[in-house]
Amino acid sequence: MNKVLVASLMLGTTLVLSAPVQAIDSTGCGLGSMAWRGQSGILPQVAAVTTNGTFGTQTFGITFGTSGCDPNGRVTGGTQKMVLAFLENNLEQFAMDAAAGQGETLTTLAGIMNMDEKTVAEKTYQNFAVLFPNENVDAVDVTLKFYQIMKA
Amino acid sequence: MKKFLPAVGLWFLLCTAAYAAEPLPADLPEWLALGHYQKGWFGYVGTIGSDNFYLSSEGRKNPTKELEATIALFQSNDTEKQCLFPARYMFLKKYGLASAPFPSCTEFEQFKDDLQPAGMTLLFTDAYMNNSSSLFGHTLLRVDTARKGTQLLAHGINYGAWTQGYENSFLYAVYGLAGFYPGGYTVKPYYDIINTYNNIENRDIWEYNLNLTPEELDLFVAHIWEVGQTTTPYYFFTQNCSYMLMELFDAVRPTLKLAADFRGQTIPLDTIKAVNARKDLVKSVNYRPSRQRKIRYRIKQMNKRQYDAFLDAIKLDLTSMQSLPEAERADVLETAYQYVQYQYVAGDLALKDYRQKSFRLLKARNQAAAGQKFDELKEGQNPVLSHDSMMASFGVGVQNGDFFEQLSFRPAYHLVTDRGYGFLAGAEINFLDVSFRHYDKHDKYVLDKLNILQLSSFSPIDAVFQAVSYRIGLDVSRQMNPKNEDEGYVLNGNVGGGGTFALNDYLWLYGLSSVEAAYGGFLPNNQWVGVGLAVGALVSFDKAALQAEVKKVFATDRIGSVLQWRVTADYYLSRNRALETVFAYTQNYGQDQTEVSVRLKQYF
Repeated sequence: MNKVLVASLMLGTTLVLSAPVQAIDSTGCGLGSMAWRGQSGILPQVAAVTTNGTFGTQTFGITFGTSGCDPNGRVTGGTQKMVLAFLENNLEQFAMDAAAGQGETLTTLAGIMNMDEKTVAEKTYQNFAVLFPNENVDAVDVTLKFYQIMKA
Repeated sequence: MKKFLPAVGLWFLLCTAAYAAEPLPADLPEWLALGHYQKGWFGYVGTIGSDNFYLSSEGRKNPTKELEATIALFQSNDTEKQCLFPARYMFLKKYGLASAPFPSCTEFEQFKDDLQPAGMTLLFTDAYMNNSSSLFGHTLLRVDTARKGTQLLAHGINYGAWTQGYENSFLYAVYGLAGFYPGGYTVKPYYDIINTYNNIENRDIWEYNLNLTPEELDLFVAHIWEVGQTTTPYYFFTQNCSYMLMELFDAVRPTLKLAADFRGQTIPLDTIKAVNARKDLVKSVNYRPSRQRKIRYRIKQMNKRQYDAFLDAIKLDLTSMQSLPEAERADVLETAYQYVQYQYVAGDLALKDYRQKSFRLLKARNQAAAGQKFDELKEGQNPVLSHDSMMASFGVGVQNGDFFEQLSFRPAYHLVTDRGYGFLAGAEINFLDVSFRHYDKHDKYVLDKLNILQLSSFSPIDAVFQAVSYRIGLDVSRQMNPKNEDEGYVLNGNVGGGGTFALNDYLWLYGLSSVEAAYGGFLPNNQWVGVGLAVGALVSFDKAALQAEVKKVFATDRIGSVLQWRVTADYYLSRNRALETVFAYTQNYGQDQTEVSVRLKQYF
């Protein structure tokens, strides 16, 4: 009885004490948007996140090449760099907000660009087809188009 | 009167002299908190693990020596090192212990430029039942930003363990207990935090905005910079993500004494309760529901016609959408788009299909009229108002005619029959739940049951969301052999999976099949293995809950082959008090065992 108790106590304690650990990554770069990123490595990465709580995301920043991801994990740089970094990491939500003509990402972009929120919302809504001409766009395309539209 | 004055003057002199003779204010709570000193059996010990955090070789255990070394640092020319301790400099300056100005520090200035701090927010993310490391939820900090736009551009400060390369090791948990992993801080844009928790892991985020003075905010940011460079051995249960944040709070406002509340265990939910309970610390609360919760809330607002169009749309059949009035399309299409995102993250969609569906749904959305009619989910059940983590109970009952009294204690955390407010519905963590009994007939005291661990996740399946329900259990319990009426202890383990169906918000039905095993010298062959089938019902209301289950086990030994009926009903007297009745009936070897009990549960 004593042996059973001690052994099971240890096992159970070990199991549950693994609880409040939070694994963290060594890069500052986040998972970002997935719809139009599409490296083949994404699914295993997402699986890693959902099973282990780890954020093994370094590959995104590297393979994407032009990534606006800051190695320190911060929102930094000039307007253009910030817009690119933001769109890269929020493209899915931005796509929906642009299609609808309202939303948090549009407010944020208006803030970064120091523009009127309503103008940004109207322009993106009207130019959704220009921003997202097909299902294979990437964040760099969208950023360039976004700039053209905002300047027009 | 005149005689009296010189005396007062003298008293003042003495006092000033005494103050001047006191060499250093190293015992000030502010200094102790900035150095993360905690009082132990043999005096002070600093929590931070990195050697470079303590300047004096004796600094970890000697706050006075550390203060002397810090004063010396700011009298030296070592600006590089000075740049690592902006908060300590603020302390020295306040007490007139530093005369030179703080050096110009490019990296620290850049840090502040990027963050543009405007305030601080404590974040709590709720339980994530798919990951043992997130069962109890998680806390992190957000440095609110003054940048134009939204708080998406703010930054999250996360304290966690660097486990990379060890996640799949079977020693994962052992290492974590032993403090093998270094704990450290990371900084991330808030939009990344939202993506991770709300969108990928489908967890709610609660934001508690803190009430800080501008000076406190400056000190907070400066101190984050100081500890941001350090690592500390990470202990899963004590010095974890939530505990370290408590020490950060104390460093900024030493009167809070938050770390002192968490000498034993640190459960994230308990820390947000402590922070909310401190006077004038939290000024507002904001709720960011998970993607799944947002989708469910939108679906609830759909009428039949909209729901049918939604089910077609997620299969990319937009014909029924055309029959919806134009003004109703936008809401349905936006919900369908969000659901497709959810499916992709859940691994239910290939990338190619995902892109195609996303694109076509949004194109259709863009062509529909602007504006939406659906409400967004803004209100949730604030976890701060949930029942407390620990529980003790006293009860009486009768087992086959033998009366007993029962005393129980559970250090953590929640069962489906406990008051559900603020907890993830259908999730259970029962840890080290122990009960002792006194049986009247033979006047004996026994350990009745030690429930070492029980994890369950009942997650309803419907046309839109499919999730597996599971239950894992490990306990030591006192059992009777009906053949010879012997009693003894058995270690029981079981792992089961199945499905849950919600008939409505209040009544869920579930079915689980499981693998069962038992071990103990008392058993006829020391052990048995078997399979179990269980069906049950969960009923939950604001004031009461009920779980009824019938379970049949087919085992390699007859003693394990049992049929069990069990009904547990709770009535909540208050947030932290409940009355519970249990009825249990077990059939084995053709013999019956019936047990009825009532107990009063107190959470604390």
